[in-house]
Amino acid sequence: MKIFCIIPAYNEEKNIASVITRVKPFVDRIVVVNDCSVDKTAEIVRDCDATLISHPINRGQGAALQTGNEYALTQGADIIIHFDADNQFQAEEIPEVIAPLLANQADAVLGSRFLSKQSNLPAFKKNIIMPLARTVNRLFFNIKLSDPQSGFRALNRKAAQKIKIQQDGMAHCSEIMHQLFAHKLRVSEIPITVIYHEFGQKFSGGVRIVKDIIIKKIIK
Amino acid sequence: MLQQIIAIFIIALFIWRLILQKKKQKINNNEFFFWMSFWSLGIIAIIFIRQIDSFLIYLGFSGSGINFLLYLSVLALFYLIFKLRLALAKTEANITKIARQIALDQERENKNN
Repeated sequence: MKIFCIIPAYNEEKNIASVITRVKPFVDRIVVVNDCSVDKTAEIVRDCDATLISHPINRGQGAALQTGNEYALTQGADIIIHFDADNQFQAEEIPEVIAPLLANQADAVLGSRFLSKQSNLPAFKKNIIMPLARTVNRLFFNIKLSDPQSGFRALNRKAAQKIKIQQDGMAHCSEIMHQLFAHKLRVSEIPITVIYHEFGQKFSGGVRIVKDIIIKKIIK
Repeated sequence: MLQQIIAIFIIALFIWRLILQKKKQKINNNEFFFWMSFWSLGIIAIIFIRQIDSFLIYLGFSGSGINFLLYLSVLALFYLIFKLRLALAKTEANITKIARQIALDQERENKNN
């Protein structure tokens, strides 16, 4: 089983080295997709035990994940994990997240901040943004999952081959969920812990996600 | 009447500029015909503004013909912006594909060297 971890990174010079160090014990290969960072992210990754792929221009997290997926598939990945570069996810939880894939009980596992484990979500995010995001997912995609915007997920090869991320920005979370259900793949949710060092996605970001989803629905 | 003459004069200026741009080959045939049709329709609407008034009254609207043309223009502008937004989204998607290909090719090259 070849386990790949895709880490999209944009200006993450402060965190990327420690994220790679923490993730490495749990995976076979780490692929950092540097989304045209203007800081030293690329230089730092070159000195780490990770493959570096660099976008020549900034295209967004969704685009970076798709680049990583395509690369990992060409390298024979059996399991692909999506992991953020900002040190908010817990690498120690990777075995729990990939367990349903290894046991062939699921094709995709989505980390959820709203199950048994407690994340220190900012109140505004927990009580306003997330319920709104859940509503958007239900309205546009008929998705009923506990976490509407989790970036910590794992896909088996079959799922990674079927999913084509077209949302370059942050709307990729909803898009991936939608494609998983559209392709009738087996989806499982696993509780994860997210440690917030900063607020992250703001309300305006949520509005942009809705706009991107609508535009993509129209031009399809 | 004077207002109609002024409006036609302004549109004639736009048409004159359009012909100049075509002569300098700054726009292609399709663009030229689109804008020529657009401004020609504008002139026709201004010439027949009273008939448009009568037609609107016949349809039961209280507004005047010029108001109607204004509403139509706003609608047309919204539509054009919408089309532009869609075209932009498609261009963005293509740019991403190119950026991805360059990134993957670069990685392959680095590996081979």
